[in-house]
Order: sequence, then C-alpha cells, then structure tokens
Amino acid sequence: MNVTALSTSSRPSPPAGEREPAAKNRALSGFLGSNIFGLIIAIAVFVLLFGLFANGFLSKVNIYSISRSIGINGVIGLAMMTVLVTGGLNLGLGAIAVCSAMVVGWSLQNLGLGIAPSLMIGVLAGAALGAVNGLIVVTTRLHSFVVTLATMSIFFGTMILLSGAQGFNALPRVMTTFGRIRMYGVVSPLLLIMLLVAAILYYIYRYTAFGREMLAAGANPFAAKLSGLPVERLFVWCHALCGAIGAIAGVMASVRNGAVVPSMAGPLGADWLLPAFLAPVLGGTLLTGGSVSVIGAILGTIFVEIITSGLYMLQIGEFWIQTALGLVLLGAILLERGRAAMALQRSTRR
Amino acid sequence: MSATTTKSGLLVEVRDVSKAFVGVQALDKVNLTVGAGQIHALLGENGAGKSTLIKILTGVHQPDSGTVLLDGVEKSFRTPRDAIAAGIGAVHQERNLITRFSVAENITLEDPPTRFGMFDEAAAVAATRRWLELLHLDTDPRTPVSRLSVAQVQLVEIAKALSLESRFLLLDEPTSSLTPHETGTLFAVLRRLAAEGVTILFVSHKLEEVFDLCTHVTVLRDGRNACESRPLTGMTRADVVRLMIGRDERAFAAPSMGLRSGPPALELRGVATSLGHRDISLQAHTGEILGLYGLVGAGRSELARSIIGAARITGGEMLIGGKPVTIKNVADAVRNHGIGYVSEDRKAEGLILQHDVAGNIAATVWHRLQRLLGFVSDGMQNRTASPFVASLDIRTPSMAQLVGNLSGGNQQKVSVAKWLAAGSKILIVDEPTVGIDIRSKAYLHDLILTLAREGAAVIVISSDMPELVMLADRIAVVKGFRLVDTFDNSREYAAASQRIMRAIHG
Amino acid sequence: MNLIRNALRADSLGLLLVVLIGGAALSLARPEFLTAYNIDVILVGFSLTVIYALGQGVIIAIGHMNLALGATGCLVAVAFGGSMQVWGLPVWAAMLFGLLIGTFCGFLNGWLTHKSGLTSFIITLATLSIFKGISLGITQAQPFYGVADSVKAFGSDRWGPLPETLLVALPIVIGVALFLGKMIPGRQMLAFGGNPNAAELSGISRARMVILAHTLSGLLAAIAGMMSVARLQLASPAIGDEWLIASFAAPVIGGAVLSGGHLSVVGTCLGVLIVSLINQALVMLAVDPFYVQVMLGALILGAVGLNRLRESRLGNAPVLRLS
Repeated sequence: MNVTALSTSSRPSPPAGEREPAAKNRALSGFLGSNIFGLIIAIAVFVLLFGLFANGFLSKVNIYSISRSIGINGVIGLAMMTVLVTGGLNLGLGAIAVCSAMVVGWSLQNLGLGIAPSLMIGVLAGAALGAVNGLIVVTTRLHSFVVTLATMSIFFGTMILLSGAQGFNALPRVMTTFGRIRMYGVVSPLLLIMLLVAAILYYIYRYTAFGREMLAAGANPFAAKLSGLPVERLFVWCHALCGAIGAIAGVMASVRNGAVVPSMAGPLGADWLLPAFLAPVLGGTLLTGGSVSVIGAILGTIFVEIITSGLYMLQIGEFWIQTALGLVLLGAILLERGRAAMALQRSTRR
Repeated sequence: MSATTTKSGLLVEVRDVSKAFVGVQALDKVNLTVGAGQIHALLGENGAGKSTLIKILTGVHQPDSGTVLLDGVEKSFRTPRDAIAAGIGAVHQERNLITRFSVAENITLEDPPTRFGMFDEAAAVAATRRWLELLHLDTDPRTPVSRLSVAQVQLVEIAKALSLESRFLLLDEPTSSLTPHETGTLFAVLRRLAAEGVTILFVSHKLEEVFDLCTHVTVLRDGRNACESRPLTGMTRADVVRLMIGRDERAFAAPSMGLRSGPPALELRGVATSLGHRDISLQAHTGEILGLYGLVGAGRSELARSIIGAARITGGEMLIGGKPVTIKNVADAVRNHGIGYVSEDRKAEGLILQHDVAGNIAATVWHRLQRLLGFVSDGMQNRTASPFVASLDIRTPSMAQLVGNLSGGNQQKVSVAKWLAAGSKILIVDEPTVGIDIRSKAYLHDLILTLAREGAAVIVISSDMPELVMLADRIAVVKGFRLVDTFDNSREYAAASQRIMRAIHG
Repeated sequence: MNLIRNALRADSLGLLLVVLIGGAALSLARPEFLTAYNIDVILVGFSLTVIYALGQGVIIAIGHMNLALGATGCLVAVAFGGSMQVWGLPVWAAMLFGLLIGTFCGFLNGWLTHKSGLTSFIITLATLSIFKGISLGITQAQPFYGVADSVKAFGSDRWGPLPETLLVALPIVIGVALFLGKMIPGRQMLAFGGNPNAAELSGISRARMVILAHTLSGLLAAIAGMMSVARLQLASPAIGDEWLIASFAAPVIGGAVLSGGHLSVVGTCLGVLIVSLINQALVMLAVDPFYVQVMLGALILGAVGLNRLRESRLGNAPVLRLS
C-alpha cells in the first residue's frame, strides 16, 4: 500500500527488471527522494533562516502560536485528504466546518447539553453533511467539484438563515481555557488533537480493511468495483469522514477564537480552501486519488505554518503572506511534476 | 480538391524501430517497407505491436530508437500534426470523432474551410459530400455524429482519412463494424486509390479481407518482425497464421473434464439485460470451459458484466448451482455467489496499477481478513497473496512491487490470482491473452485448463479463434446481443471455425 | 439564420420560458418590478455577470476550471484604479494596462496547467491566492478612489433607456458566440474539449488550446474587473470575491457540460438573467440575501443533473462510469 510514512507513490518506481541490489537500499533511496524528506529539509532550513533573521520567531509565544495553528490547519488538511482519496475534493469543507461548529454552539447554549454530547452532535452533523455530498456525487455521477460548489452555498446559506448570522459566544469555560492551555510553555493542546486525528487516520489507511478499500476504490474505481468492493458506499464514507474531521476543525477554530463565529472561515467558508489543499498536496497526496500520506500532510502543515509565521515576524505584511503561500503551492506542484517527468523519461513511457 | 488528381504515393520505410512502455517492450527492432501504390497488410495477434507501430507512424508515439523514412528522407514526428503535414492519414482503432460536431465539420477538422475568417459550413458540406458518396454513405453532412450508427461512424472516420488526400493511408481495423457490402465498397475505393498511387497500410484480423485486398504482408509477433514485407502471392492462410502465432493452428488435446451430471454451476434461462441482450440461454458446468465467441460489439463482454451484476438483468432467470438468484451488484456477485471476472481491459478495469501486488490480490478478501476494528496488517495480506504469487509463478521482486511495473503477462496473472484468492467458483475470463508474450500466453492457457480441472466453471471470452477452439469444451457464439449457436467443441480447428463463421455470417 | 436556429434549440427555449414566466410572475406579484429602475438594475448587473460568466464558460468549454477568475478581475481592478490614482495614467493607458495584466494572468494559468499536466483546479487555486495576495498587499485592503470621471460616468450613464455597460457587454457576448460558433480557433477549442485525443489526432495542438482558453478567460475577467470599477466608482480589492458561484452557475444553467466540449452562449445569457431575476425577486420580496446563495446552489445542482440526464440520453455515458 502507498500509505506508509515513506509514501513515494507519486513517483513511478524503476521498471521491473532493473532490480536494485537490496531492499534496504531501495527504501533508503526512496526516502531520500520522497516528499517527506524534502519537507523535513525545507522545514529545517526555514526554521534556521527565520531563527536567525526574524526577531522573536523562536520566542515561546511564537512557538506556541505556531503549534496552535499547526493543530487547527493540520486537521483541516487531513479532512481534505480523506476526500482527495476518491480523486474528488470538497470545496465546502469550510462551510461544513462552520455549520458543524454552529451546531455545537447551538447545542451548548440553546439546548443546554453538555460538552461531550454537543461535540458528538457536531461531529455527526459534519459527517451527515459530508455524506450528503457523497450521496449526491455517487448517485448523480457528477464531479465532486460542482456538487460541493453547489452544496457549500446551500449549507452555508441555510446556516446563516437559521442562525440569523449570530454566533455563539458563551462557550463553557472548560472549552475556552482548554484553548489557552500551554503545555511546557510552548505546546497547544490543539496540536495534540491534530496528532490524535492523524494517528487514527494513519491506522485506518495503513491497517484496516476499510482504509485499504477506500484507497483501492479511489485509485481505480472500475477495477475496485469489478473486484467486488462497494465503491459507491466507500465514496460516501470518504465524504462523511471529511465532514466529520472538518467538524472537529471547526470546533478547534472556535475554541481558539473563544466563540463560534459564522464568518471564521470567510464567506462560504472558502478561506479554508488554501490550507486545506496545501497540506496534503505538499505532503504527496495525489489529487487523482488512491494515495495518501498522513505524515506528509502533517509535515506539509508544519512547513506552511513556519513560512506563515516567519514571514509575519519579518513584517512582510499579512496580505503578502497569501501570495507567498500561493507561490509555495505552485512551486511544490511544479517541483513534484518535474521530478515525475524525469522519472518517467527514465522509465520510457509515452 | 479533385478526385482525379494523381498523387504520387510515398515510399514508407521503418528501420529498426523500438518502443518500450513501462514493463513492456512493445516494439523491438521492427522493420517495414511499403512501396508507393502498394496495399500492404500489417498483421499480428492482439498485442503484437501493430497499434504501437501505427501510433509511431502517425506521430502519437515517438520511437525510442530506429528511424522512419518517407521517400528515403528520415522523418521524426513529434505530434500528429507533423504526420498529417507529411501526407499521412489514418483511421485509428478507437473512435476519434467529436460527437457533438456535424459530420462535415468532423471530416474537415484538420483543415476547415473559412469565409471571412469564419467556418464555412456550406463549403464543408460540399467538400464532404463527395467523400460520403464515394463510400455510398447516405447521410446528411450536417447531422451531428452523435446521431449516427456505429457503422456510419466508422465510415465517417474513413471518409475523414480519405479527405486528407494523403499519400500514405493507414487503416487500423477499419471494417470491424461494417457489413460485407460496406466493406466491399470500401475495398473498391482503396483499390482505386492504390491504382492512383496512394500507399496503403491495412490492419485487420480478418484474414479473408487481407487476402482479398492486399499484395504484401508484414507480420509482427511479440513486438518483433515475424516476416517483413513479403508478397502475399504464393502464401496460404496457414502460412500467415503460422507466422502470426509461431506454430500451426493445431488443436490441443485437452479432454473435456465437464461434470455434466448435476445442475450447472451457472445457468442463464432466456435472460434479457439492460444493455440489450435478449433471450440468452447458456450453461456453464463445473470443471468445464465454456467459450464465448463474437466479434467486437457483439455483446460478449457486456454479457459478462451483466452476469457479475455490473448491469441489470431485466428478464429471464439466472441460476447458480441450480438455484435461482438475483444479483444486486458486483459486491453481491463476488462475495456471496463466488463469481469472478477478469476484465479484458486489465489496466483500466482489472488492476490498480499504482498499488502493490499484495494489495491487488487481497483486494477481494480484505473484508474477510479483517479482525477487531477492521485490522488487516501487511503480514496478513501477504500471507493471503503469496501462495498465489508462488503457484502462478508471478515474477515480481517483492510483494510490495507496484503492479504497474510488472510485465503484461505477470499483470494478467495478478488479475487472475485475485479471484483464486477470493475462491471464485465461477470465473469469467475476458480476452485472457491480449497484449501478452507467447510464453506467458501458453502458461495462461494451461492455467485456465487447470482451474477448470480443479473444479471451477470457467467462461472464456475471446476473439482469438484458435485460442478459443483450443481451450473451450463448448462454444457459444454471440451476435447482436443474442446467442446464435452453441455447440460441443471437437477441438478440430477447421470444423469449429467454419461453424462459428456460419453462425455469424450465415 | 444559424444563430437563430441554435438559439431556439430545446435547452435555450426552456430557459427562455423560465425567464419569461419568472418575470411575469414577479411583475404580477409585485407590480413595481417592471419599473424602469428595476429593469435598469437587472441590466447593469447582467452586463457585468455575463462577462465573467463567459470568462468561466470558455474554460468550462475545454473541461477545465478557473478558480482565479475573481482574483484576476480583482488584480486588474486594482491595477486599473491604482495606475490612474498613483501613476496618473490616462484612462486609455490604464485600460490597456488592465487588459494586459488580465491577459497575462490567464496566459500564466494556461501555461502552468499545460506544463504541469495537472488539473487546472490546483493551479488556479495557487494563482488565486497569489493574485489576491498581490491585490491586497498593494492596496493594504483599501480601495483606490482616484478613478477618472469618465470611467465613473461610464458606470452610471444611460444611452437611451439602456445602461452604457450593456453596450459594451453585448458586443463581447456576440463576439464570444461568434468565436465559439464560427471561428476556427473557437471550434478547435470545443473539439478539444469534446474529445482531446481525437482533436490531437486531427492536428489540433493541446498546448495551444489550453493556453488560448485560459488567456481568453483572463481577458474577460479583466474586462469584468474594470467594469466593476466603473460601477462601484472605486477600485476595491474586494472586487471578484463573489464571482465564483455565479460564474459556474450561469454557464451550467445554460447547458454547459463540465467535462467540456459544449458551451451555449445564449444559454449562459439566459442563465445570467435567471440568476439576476432570483436576486431581484428576493430583494423585492424582502427576503434574506442568503436565500440567494441557497437558491444558486440548488440551481447549479438541478442544472448539472439535468445536463447529465441529457448527456446520457445522447448515449455519451459509459456503462461503468463512476464519479
């Protein structure tokens, strides 16, 4: 499977016959050429650069705030990754996240339910909205792009209509203080939540029949279907998983803000699109489906947050950071393609 | 644009051309010489490299080594444009029309007529009409291609290639959907063009047509020349077949192992499907190989798809082990009824090329392997898959090798292995040896025979008649989504092939 | 003759009926709907929306998408306003500058998409944030107010009963219709969108088609961006923010197939009209503007579903097709 930490599936391996001396050697060379390795180097280089030149980059406050952003944006990226598995995407991830967070706020404040049941309801709501996307994609056989383009506007619009665009700002103290905890002075607990989500996803894709079936269905739905896998059902699950994890991200962002704000992900939740794609794509998850890298996505997020924070500390101005992130995404995909093209030339394919 | 212009044909030479795709050497130092004004046949079994050679001649692929010469001048085509500009026109095997566009616009797509910078429909219609009339195709050039029948579409493709007034015309299976009458008209046109000096390369698996039309022949086998540019005069059908398959068309002595006592493993009674089959009745017994023969588009693979639940059965009855069943979907067929299907298009539908060998084989059984919390480790997966890698002699460096990096023969073994892992009792194998080298081919034939002997009911779908006659205990012939004949196969090639031909053309 | 025949093809006719019945129903329910003011509002909105909808439409025609459409419009608007206010360029030079920038942005999208061989989605997502970041960075999120008076006048003046913006929009619409319906590069684009491999075998260059479509999209986005400046009377870096949904909705309602190969310009115009009608209706019936979002989403879903149904009736849907 391609879900190991050392996922190199986006590069074609050397053709059969060109046997390499030892499996260990191959694993090593694969690792050195992988996104993972590249990201680790890039992270190290930028930490060094920013550490030297950006005042306050390595301060405790800043490291804490980076860890918090990594926590939230990491979960956003992982959520998108679960639906990239199908070869599709979810434009409405931000909309679903905000809707679910609003459900949590409503359940806490208006229904007066406890934190645990409220969170449960929120995650279920996210999963349900995701499943709606999945069901529409599977039954109409339309591309998920246009389906989620439509549903993001429906979900977000409906949420605003129902809530009157009023957020929930009386979250229980436990939640708001949780968002402010500093472990060892530098680690946000939100980072740990992200790691927990990542660990669960890693387990699913790497060690379960369910995960393997989702990857197979995403890689080649025709072959998977003819192998007796319930491809349609698996696709709905992928979308539901995306919604559920998106809901977690929505709650995490609310915890950081200390309130559930309908505009926290921008109009229609579209502001989350860039972080959502940056992390998995930098980490080597294929947009064509069937291949994920959980660890790559985490490293991708770390890289992005370090760049963001470093540029911020350099006082580049927050607007230019958006440009920089766009350039990072562009650079990463072009680099990846260049490498793939070179590997292809070597193995002589059309 | 006048039909009476005499064009000097091209002398086409292919020198030592090689081309490899991932894991497959498609062409290995192939040579071909076609003289000006010659009608030259390019023959070979499926996967012998004919289409690759044509794609090189039309600029779709570029050779890894070797040269193409036109009138003695070396040419390298980087895109199809270059080939068109050099005077090469082609009818490809795949349909290549823009279905929303009109017949006229499709035919003139390479060089559309314009008036004041706008597409001139009237001129296109006028220019097109001539080529349609030449092929006796009575269709309004303004009709969108999406409204045409399969045969009409094929004729439009031919008209499109003719309209380029190329000096070298390549035709890859141009008659696959045509009636004998339409084929006759086409051949008359081709002969006239050749007489005017146009060079023609003709690919067909219908040997009768080749002997009818062509003067010279080049045969490819496993990507190499089995013969190069030989005159057809003096050659017999048997000679050509020997060149194509590397041996005589002799029947294999593989005794029928059919256990006809007891209910058949799979039986169809008057089945109709949503894909258009009507009144299909057949039986596949345990221990027996049922051969399903039919031309492209006759509904063979579609029947297989209906049996495994990928398309709906709308009438009649399907029985498994004598009991009527309704198959809800493919998962139901695979998991609950033990049916397996090896697709003819193993790259698109049979395998997950970017996943590893173990994962491809175990895909059918993950749901059975899983333990608490859906746990399936690599070790469990490998233990399931490795016996089949060993028993089918799949040549792979490791279980973690990506299937896309295996050779065609080994890929096909993987796509059979997954059904062995699933323990399928009824196995449908669609074109088992397309694009596979000779040795693996023999191995796969043995494998299919063994599977049947060991207690599976096997349905083999093939358009390779010698293969089918050799393997099948009984042969069913499909034509136009109906079953036209079923008979016990004596494994006498002459008798069987004549009966099949009678069923199809009679 | 042909244009009329195409216009009356079944899908457009249905849409026309929707527009007419919708308009009639609205004017019955709210007689004030048919006032000159309201019609004017609809026509001004139409002029702008139809241009960026076609900007997305030409990309849809080759089976791609342009997420950066709004960001391109925004960058052009900022450059247009900024070059007048800061550099003091005359209007014509500022316009030229804007058109150049938009065309270049589109070209960049096409070139990158072609070179990378990746889906235009991810490329234009990246350029979206680049263009948007530049616009915000230059302006520090503040609008340029120094827009020339002639530009402001163009945004508000009438030519008889018609807004001047419509007089610019109509030739552009006709131009795109002619380009796709009659001109060779346009036909080649549609051929490429309908069946890339077949088009390539007919000698149509993949690179040229991808770059052409994206460049055209950038050009149309530029025109729409500058028209927004004229309409708002200032160059705001928020221009283009809400284009995305409508830019997909209108062509798709008009029968465009997202997999490429078909774009009805008449249908797109009617799609834009339907969108503006809904907008107007909700304003007049005093309902929450977020209903528009919900309605638009539902419309897109309904329209693509309908198109899909029509496709499969044409027999274009293969047997085992998934997503």
